Amino acid sequence: MRGGAIPILAWGTILLVLAIGNWVWNDKTADGAAASAAVVIIYGFGVALWLARREAIRRGPPPPRTDAEAVPQASVSAMLIGLSVGCALFGLAWAKFLLYFGIAVFVLSVGRLIIELRAERSTRKHVVSEEEHR
Amino acid sequence: MGAQPGEGADPVSVATAPPARISRMTGWLGTLTSTDHKRMGLTLGGLSLLYFLLGGLFALLMRTQLAQSNMHFVSDNSYNELFTMHGSTMIYLFVTPMAIALAVYLVPLQIGATGISAPRLALAGLWTWICGGLIMQQGWFASGGAGRAGWSSYAPLSNGTNTPGVGQDLWVIGVILAAAGMAAMAGCVVATIARRRAPGMALLRMPVFTWTALVTVLMVVASFPILVLVMVLLYIDRHGGHIFTGFTGAIDYQDLFWFFGHPVVYVMFFPYLGAAAEAIAVCSHKRWFGYIAFVASMMAFAAMSTAVWSHHMYTTGGVTNQYFAFTSTLLLVPAGVEYFDAIGTLIGGALVLRTSMLFALTFFLQFLVGGLSGVFVASPVLDYQVYGTYMIVAHFHYTLFAGSIFGFFAGVYHWFPKFTGALLRERLGKLQLVLMVIGTNLTFFPMFFLGNDGMPRRVSRYPTHPGWGTLNELETIGAGIIALGVLVFLVNVWTSLRRRVPAGDDPWLGHTLEWATSSPPPPLNFDRPLPPISSYSPLLDLRHEEMDRGGEPAEVSAAR
Repeated sequence: MRGGAIPILAWGTILLVLAIGNWVWNDKTADGAAASAAVVIIYGFGVALWLARREAIRRGPPPPRTDAEAVPQASVSAMLIGLSVGCALFGLAWAKFLLYFGIAVFVLSVGRLIIELRAERSTRKHVVSEEEHR
Repeated sequence: MGAQPGEGADPVSVATAPPARISRMTGWLGTLTSTDHKRMGLTLGGLSLLYFLLGGLFALLMRTQLAQSNMHFVSDNSYNELFTMHGSTMIYLFVTPMAIALAVYLVPLQIGATGISAPRLALAGLWTWICGGLIMQQGWFASGGAGRAGWSSYAPLSNGTNTPGVGQDLWVIGVILAAAGMAAMAGCVVATIARRRAPGMALLRMPVFTWTALVTVLMVVASFPILVLVMVLLYIDRHGGHIFTGFTGAIDYQDLFWFFGHPVVYVMFFPYLGAAAEAIAVCSHKRWFGYIAFVASMMAFAAMSTAVWSHHMYTTGGVTNQYFAFTSTLLLVPAGVEYFDAIGTLIGGALVLRTSMLFALTFFLQFLVGGLSGVFVASPVLDYQVYGTYMIVAHFHYTLFAGSIFGFFAGVYHWFPKFTGALLRERLGKLQLVLMVIGTNLTFFPMFFLGNDGMPRRVSRYPTHPGWGTLNELETIGAGIIALGVLVFLVNVWTSLRRRVPAGDDPWLGHTLEWATSSPPPPLNFDRPLPPISSYSPLLDLRHEEMDRGGEPAEVSAAR
């Protein structure tokens, strides 16, 4: 994590300078809106990392980690979320029932995702307590 | 409970046991639900490759139509569909996702991570992209045919009145899904680099490819949401929304579209540049030259790519040409740094001319043609002369095909042993290279002459004009030779996987961490302790230390 936000914020700053240059030279709504949106997205990403861990803006190599991080191996819910979004949008152009079907599958998939995340959290807790016990 | 990677990797990463029902999913179903970044990368890359073949088939059909003047191989309407779907398939479904696939597969390995951050989001993004591709191609089966307003689908050409039919709607929805899916996967790669680097892997110790991947995914995250937005607006416009109306509406569409459209050119270039750079450094048995300058130039290059988009709109009269000509010409500086670094790496290196190295060198040479012709079209005065002609087609094919594709093959020949554990056949690789170099230049170089002579692009038939017939025939022959080159590649992959020559873990004496694990890597990536990371070439450092201790350097043994 250490330093992870630095290149993102640095890149966002270069984008900001260029967006200002573009605004000075062009002063067009669509141009300004697109360039500003890009700056906001990148800064938002960088700031989120910074807020998550303050070391994200500190220089230097990352130290060894001490917290447990889960690495899931499979996720049916994630696949279904992607498929359901596709199905719903396909339904917009092709057949309306697919739109409703896609929305329904999406809702169910989000439910399944919550179950998966809870199972993951309990596995992590279990593993950490086992490690501590040893 | 997953394996515990050694020193350097996350010491307490936990492979969460999937629910029993998922555990039973093996084979294809296991692959399709897998959140392992390597499986996701291979799935995305494999499907992208299929789209490459499909897009190539469209190109061959187009070239057959254009082989002679006034041919009637396909109808005008079908030709419009073909060039739209060729461009869309290549850009949204092959070159860009392949770039992201390389990043998804390789970045966690190169930075010593056990996986990708937010893997479920990446998997959802993968499936969204898959749906996008299928829906876009579904247009071929729609009444009225597939999308036919070009890969950029300018408004008002693409509105409901000028391009009616479900095919264009499916195209719009396909682009929305593909772009959203790729943006999700790109976000995961950014988060991985930010959060999951191994202990010791400081930012300025990240491998060259990882830096190119980082700036690529940053561009995707910054610009693809704009594409999603513009496509949503286009969909509303097509269904009576009246958003892009009149001159201002048309200019606004182009402004928003090219805000995505120009960065994506670099999204389709940087990872392949990174692949070529890795291949050159490893095959030169030298560190990549000018690392800091390279990193700085990549950051500047990527940012500037979001400040040049209106050079696609010089002739509209709706943009400030001077500003965009200035920023576009400025791109020469970081591009020059990359060439300088590549030459610096080659000088004094112990060069081994493997197929990956040859593809990488050809990438730099071929891209030079595209880059230098880009300097011409960055000038508004010259752009007014050649806009809408084959000169533009030649320019962007030299950047995207002669550039990116050669870089892609450099990466494939370099990392195939890591992906599969088997070596590709060198002779077949070199045959493929020769065919592709001949085919590429025979197809795209005559386009400069045709463009200079005023032959317009996006026409299915052209008048009998001295020289045009011959040049077009040569281009069609060239396209056939490229197809032959791709066929040789497919045969090579088939043969190499059927009759495997085991690659071992590190067949090329690689410099970066992906070569410090088995081929293909295990589920949590590293089955042994990582070496100490004190530079962007940790394995090279290790070999140098061995040499300092009096051992024979591996490079010397390899050279024998």
